[in-house]
Amino acid sequence: MRLGPGAQRRIAVALADVFGEPEDVALAVADFLDRYLQRVPFQAAIGLRAVVWAITWLPVLFVGIPLPVSALSPAARARYLERWAGSSLYFLREGFYLLKAISLMGWGAQPQVRARLGLGPMAALTDSVRA
Amino acid sequence: MTTDVADFVVIGSGAAGATATLVLSEAGHEVAVLEEGPAVRAEDRGLGSSEAFMRLFRDRGTQVAMGRSVMPVLQGRCLGGTTVVNGAIVWRTPEDAYDRCFRAAGASDAIPLRELLARMDRIERDLSVAPAPDRLLGGNGTLMKIGAERLGWRAHAIRRNVVDCQGSGRCLEACPTRRKQSMEQTYLPRAAALGARLLPDHEVRLIETSAGRAVAVSGRRADGSGFRVAARKGVVLAASAIQSPGILWRSGIGPREHVGAHFHAHPGTAVAGIYKDPVRIWEGATQSYEVDEFRGEGFKMEVVGLPVELAGVRMPGMGEAFQRSMRDFPHMAVWGVQVRAEAEGTVRPRGDGTRITYTPSPADMVRFREGVKRLCELHFAAGAVRVYPGVHGGPDELTSPDQISRLDDLPLDPRDWSLITSHLFGTCRMSAREEDGVVDFGGAVWGASHLWVLDASVFPGNLGVNPQHTIMALAMLLAERIAA
Repeated sequence: MRLGPGAQRRIAVALADVFGEPEDVALAVADFLDRYLQRVPFQAAIGLRAVVWAITWLPVLFVGIPLPVSALSPAARARYLERWAGSSLYFLREGFYLLKAISLMGWGAQPQVRARLGLGPMAALTDSVRA
Repeated sequence: MTTDVADFVVIGSGAAGATATLVLSEAGHEVAVLEEGPAVRAEDRGLGSSEAFMRLFRDRGTQVAMGRSVMPVLQGRCLGGTTVVNGAIVWRTPEDAYDRCFRAAGASDAIPLRELLARMDRIERDLSVAPAPDRLLGGNGTLMKIGAERLGWRAHAIRRNVVDCQGSGRCLEACPTRRKQSMEQTYLPRAAALGARLLPDHEVRLIETSAGRAVAVSGRRADGSGFRVAARKGVVLAASAIQSPGILWRSGIGPREHVGAHFHAHPGTAVAGIYKDPVRIWEGATQSYEVDEFRGEGFKMEVVGLPVELAGVRMPGMGEAFQRSMRDFPHMAVWGVQVRAEAEGTVRPRGDGTRITYTPSPADMVRFREGVKRLCELHFAAGAVRVYPGVHGGPDELTSPDQISRLDDLPLDPRDWSLITSHLFGTCRMSAREEDGVVDFGGAVWGASHLWVLDASVFPGNLGVNPQHTIMALAMLLAERIAA
């Protein structure tokens, strides 16, 4: 299962807001999501892909605006994402946290993020230490 | 399809399977151990949580239990099993845990505690078990120690199976420096040196029987090809509390009312605290210190050295607020509470795999609420300036111990909690009578011959402490009897 370039660009806009990161980091995280979807079992992939689709395309249900998440104003997008995260409906809230949890693995691997937090590279050891 | 042959076929290479393989090999038997997952290569180690999930965990880290909420169930799936990706915690079975788990089931004559402890003595020598020294406590462990001392709670450095640990905080990614004495580093190569054949990438699907006697196993390799291994003397099933009942079920072996039933676990959750001085959670042993003051009340607390990508999941806020939270990461300590849950779930075949159904009981959730309150108290005693309880419907953060009373009303619905579990038991439980379980106190499957189950699925109750040591001691004891 893939996340095409258009889907990546759209969800990256939401991820940039969730994590407070610039576009290049958010796009890298969206690319991570695409690669993640290709590697996990189909059932897990379809669940995550459905969440990405829903968060991208359902502003009309949450904030009454018939646009994808990437086309919302920053204020409307913030309101929209807060409604997912704070929903009283478990499956909506968990859907948001599923996307956040998986995306964080991509976020935490970004060199600029790790440098900002004072962390070393994700794979910190040299081949000689591994051998 | 060609048929291989061995005296004993062992299914699973984790704590139980590796131990059984070594014991049977030492007794001079020819053993083939079949592991569904891959061998762990040097380049698979220390790559971060995402790659660890992809390479070393079951279902690439996506396995869940379904119930009132969805709960991740973490298991290793590689040569060495979960021992490769756990926190290297070694708990000698305490008498109260033994009584609750084994004596209450009537197993005390067949499996005396002293016999388990004698095996633990050997295992501790073999795996160089020792308490984490102060230099490996890291900021995370040191703060828990300080908090526990100030509160007067019973606590101690965790006993770990490591040699010259470098404190890289990456136990859960397969130790990058190979200091953890997990099974692929210890018992499996020792067994191989005695002639055991280690067969990774071999998923057993069926146990074949002839007139009730286990005679062979069959399945598929990672490349999709089939295999069959005949067993001259018997089959030892040690594929975990999730996979073992699935294999029995598919094979039509064992009583349907007990195979996959009585699933027990130690679900857990974590609370983060922010400190004025840097904690640097990524330095030191991943799990170095624990509080067992409340074990009698059904929960214990442990340091959990989470990487930034996992620690961020339940941090509140978005955008700049999230950035502010994560800027605190170098000042963050994360501690978990692990509950000895009374709830029972089930493991059933589903399609190609298994379906786990599990919901913590209301009493379990009360333990969680008490555990989270105690963790907050511990954080503040250690000097935290801010604590994140991480429960939906409760306060996002607390800034003083006076506010802990706000947690008295935390919701008890599992859907409001971020729970995760990794200690799994009971789905092929042992019993004194055939009608009460799947195996007898020797691990032999009721109604079958030359077929034993030796992993945590045979535990007749919920242990209440980290189980690797008890799993290994039980497997060693029962495998010695099989070998004889």
